[in-house]
Formats: sequence, C-alpha cells, structure tokens
Amino acid sequence: MKFHLQQAVKAVILCAFSVMIFNLHATGEITKLINPKYEMLSKTVAIIFLVLFVAQLKRIFSFSNHRNHNELCGCCAHSLVNPPFNWERILSYLILVVPLFTGFTLPTKFLDASIAQKKGATIMMTNQSQATKKDEVASRNEDGLLEDHPIDPKLLEEKQEMSKKEYDLLKQQLAQNPIVEMTNYIFSVYYEDINNNLSQYQGKKIRLSGFVLKETDLLENQFVISRFLITHCVADASIIGFLTEMPEAASLQEDSWIEAEGTIDIGYYNGVELPIIRIEQWKNIQEPAEPYIYPIDILISM
Amino acid sequence: MNRPLSKQLLNARFFLLLMIILFLTPTFFPSSAWLFSFATPLLNLNTIFLSILIEALPFVLIGVLIAGFIQIFITEQHIQKCIPKNKFLAIIMSCVIGALFPACECGIVPIVRRLVSKGVPIHSAMGFMLTGPLINPIVIISTYMAFGNDLKIAGLRMILGFIIAIIVALLISMLFTGTQFKKGIRTNHAQHGTAKLSFFKKSSNMVNHSIDEFFDMGKYLIIGAFLAAFVQTFVSTKTLVDIGDHFTSSMLVMMLLAYILSLCSEADAFIGASFSSIFPTPSILAFLIFGPMIDFKNTIMMLGVFRLKFVLSVLTIVFLVIFFIIWLIAPFL
Repeated sequence: MKFHLQQAVKAVILCAFSVMIFNLHATGEITKLINPKYEMLSKTVAIIFLVLFVAQLKRIFSFSNHRNHNELCGCCAHSLVNPPFNWERILSYLILVVPLFTGFTLPTKFLDASIAQKKGATIMMTNQSQATKKDEVASRNEDGLLEDHPIDPKLLEEKQEMSKKEYDLLKQQLAQNPIVEMTNYIFSVYYEDINNNLSQYQGKKIRLSGFVLKETDLLENQFVISRFLITHCVADASIIGFLTEMPEAASLQEDSWIEAEGTIDIGYYNGVELPIIRIEQWKNIQEPAEPYIYPIDILISM
Repeated sequence: MNRPLSKQLLNARFFLLLMIILFLTPTFFPSSAWLFSFATPLLNLNTIFLSILIEALPFVLIGVLIAGFIQIFITEQHIQKCIPKNKFLAIIMSCVIGALFPACECGIVPIVRRLVSKGVPIHSAMGFMLTGPLINPIVIISTYMAFGNDLKIAGLRMILGFIIAIIVALLISMLFTGTQFKKGIRTNHAQHGTAKLSFFKKSSNMVNHSIDEFFDMGKYLIIGAFLAAFVQTFVSTKTLVDIGDHFTSSMLVMMLLAYILSLCSEADAFIGASFSSIFPTPSILAFLIFGPMIDFKNTIMMLGVFRLKFVLSVLTIVFLVIFFIIWLIAPFL
C-alpha cells in the first residue's frame, strides 16, 4: 500500500471547500454574500464538493503491485498519479487555500458607505430618475378601476417571483396607499415607481430606513439615505437611495442607520430632476439583520 | 520506492489531523470578534472576493464536470465527424452551439480547453467561448428586466454579440492555427482502448479528471476573483465616469469597466442599466457585449491554458471588433 501525499492534499482541499460552504450556510454568513434565492445552488455546490472529496479518497492510497488506473484510463494528457511535489505545485495549492483560510478566519461583513462611494452612488441615483418614463404614463391612466381598493393581501405574501401582470398590479396598488411605507420587500418596487412617476408621488408621506451616505458635492443639509440592491451576489450590488434634506444632517455619522419619515418632493442634483425627501421625523436605529434588499423577479410568459 | 510503513502511517495520521482541524476551525473562533479590529477595507475586500467565488463556483464545477465528460466520453473521431471542414461553416456552427449552451464565462474555459485538446480547431473553440456566456435565456431575461422591460437592448445585445463573435472567430481563423496551448499543456493524440472500459469505470475516470481540472483551473479563478474584488474595493467608478464625457471615451470607459469588474453575465445587465443615463446607448451595449466575452477573471483563466501572445491577441481582436461595430451602428441607435 502506498500513500500519495499530493492526492491527500487535494482531498483535504475539496473537503475544506465543502465544509466552508456548509459553514457559511450554518452560520448565516451566506446572506452577506449572495441573494438568498441562490442559496440552493450554493448548497448543491457544497454537496458536489463532498462527492468529489469521496471520489478523491480512493486515489490517496494505491496498492503498489497494481498498475495505477491512470494508465488504464487511456489518456496521457493528464497528470500522473504522483507528479513531483515541486514549488510550482505547492504555490498552486497555496492559492487554493487562500479563500479557505480567509473564509474560515475572517468575518464577512455587510457592505458599507465606502463601497457605495466607490460604486458611484449618486451616479446610480440620478440615472434611476431618468429611466424610461414612457410606458408608465400610459399604464397609470387605467388605474381608475382600482381606486380605494385595499392592498390585496396575496400580493404582499413576499413572493420573490411573480408574473408581469401581478407585478404591475402590485405597483398600482402600492401607488394607491396614502403613506409610502418602504419595507424591504417592496423597497425596489416603490423606488422604481417613485422615480418613474415622481409628479404623482410629490407631497406624499414616506417612511423608510437606510444607511447614511454623504458625498462631497452634496449641500450641508443633505445626505443620501441608501440601501444596497443585490441581484446575484454582493459583487454586483447597486445602490438605491433617496436624496434627503434635513437641518441637522451634518450631525449624522456616515454609515449609521436611521429610520425616517418625511415628504417626497422634486429636487435637483447636477441639473437632473430627482425625488428628494424632506425629513420631518427621524431616529437612529441599529443596522437591521437584513440590510440588503433583493429585486423581485418578473417571470416572462412568452 | 516503498517507504517504511511507520512513515506512511504518520502521513496518513497527519492528513486525518488536518481534516479534523479544518472541521473544528469554526468552533475555535465562534465570533471571530478578535479579528474585527482588522482594517475595514480588507474585510470589504474579503467579502467581495468570497462572494464572487461562491457565485462562480457552481458554474466552474459544471464546467469542469463537462470538461471531464468530454475527456472520457467524446473521442476525436466524434469531433472530426461533427465539425464541418469548411472554416466558415465550422465557425457558424460553433457560435450557434455556444448560443444554445447555457454557460458562464468562468465555467467555459475548462470546456474550451478540453475541446481544443480533442481536436476542435481553435477558431471554432473561440466562437463557442464568445457566444456561450453572452447568449442564453437567463442573460436575455435579466437584460430585458434591467432595462425597464424593453426588448431593444436585450435584442441588440444578442444579435450584435452573435455577429461580433462570428467576425472575431473568422479573424482568429486567419491569424492562428494549432492549439495555441502554452508549454506543458499536452493534447491527447490517441485513445488507447477507452472503449473497453465499463461505463462505471469511465464515470469514475470522468470524476477524477474533473477533480484534476478543478485544481488546474481553480487557482486562476481565485486569482481573477481576487483582482476583481480588489478593483471593486479600491478603484472608484466615479473617477472613471468623469473621464468618459465624449462618445468614444465613454465607450472606452464602459468597456474598461466591463473588463475590470468581471461581473457574471447574468447580473451585469443591472449594473449596465445603472449607467444608462450618463452614457449613451452604444456605450452601454459595448459594456454588455464585451464583459461576457472577455473579462479580467476570464483572461487570467485563459492565461493558464493558452499562450500569452494568443490570449492578448484574442483580447485585442474582441475589443477592436466590438468597438468598431458599435461605432458603426451608433448613428442608427
């Protein structure tokens, strides 16, 4: 019987990847990395790693009187069972160990204002308000039918996927509400609608929470109350947020979380028309357990 | 060659111990509180780095499993039978297969490598590599959604992407022949009687190949993910955007962004859409087409397989063709 160190190293690494991913799920850290919608996919990855690990186990030992299987497998392209353990190989294993090491030892964290600034938060903001306005105007005229109807409770059953029709209905019903209540689930829906139909929301009360983001070109009494929208993983996070005005803005710490109530108004930033919230009441809050928001997927029926 | 038994046992014991330690690591630092004093940027970097990896791993694993499958189950004869002799037809076919094949740019390099080593001509392989991540149902739907449920951008992305891939593959067919593998990467010239093996044996070999493939490609994925995360943490998008105030410079900026951010093709539409007010449509299209075809992460992975000169040429050709085509049609958009 012969022990193959390199195959053993590979087995350990495969196993460690599996354990790391399971561990991220078990501790809930995974929500800081990806949209929960993809959790199943990532769990599958952990299982595949585990399967590969088990498959790798049998390559660790070979019986020397047997010819090793690679000669039977019919391909000379692949690595020998025991290639020399040189520096190049050690380096490549070290690289693979890096994410394992940081994954196990360093805590993951929620993205903060410094990342928001790198991503150009105000750029993303101004663009939202200029996004397609054309078809919205048309659809809004048909709203008459829905007047005074309470929100259909079914629509608020936090579904992450819905058809285009349901989505439009949800949007219309939300627009009927006297107070704009930006909960996590409908944050992005409201955000899109407010930016597209600003005039209809002007003067409405709004209640929302988010972290404080300050940009150098904002006025003394202004800041951005912002959230990260995660489509797939935090690397593709985009910032959605409202320009906000209140007298004591200067005293707010960047990155601190606030819950605020105010009125939606039309403002300007760099010559672009966008919603601005004039705050009437606010308080500092703890960073919520789920600081990210996720888009609702619209299923397209062809 | 046989070492004394005691030494072997020691090795085995060491291996076991290492595994146990790995399993227990989480319990050693239940809160990791002592590490919170670490500089915030580093933690941001690590978070983004891990998230790119976690996001990419499913696609990489699918990629290496398919590569293993190709290695064991597909023979050179199969491929020679399937691929048309005519260069142009071969390119069209590979681009169509790429379009039908739902791949991600991080999982496609190992597949391409196996295909080339099995005798697929390099231009066909490149056609497949360029359309695979760009044209597939998930990308179409996410682009459609990101641009306010408008089919125009999604449609243009697919159609232009397809045409560009064909042109690039044609240019590659004129400039390059052979496998373009770097030294040390061997192709298999013969199949010594694989057919004799049982299906079970073949499957087990396929898994072994997939594991080796993962170890070959994994390191490049990790380096690529790290660099992309580094850029996201430390380079400000805003400074880039300030450069791009003219039409051509905005196109260059968007293509540079697509390259260095190395976003997954299924998610980049939302980022692209967030630039749609500051930059004109052609620049957004350049971003959406360039990113999935070649990006930072992908280039590093390609460098693990192909010659430096070849990788740089492909990068340049893809860049120039996209730039030129979009510049040409810009007045009509």
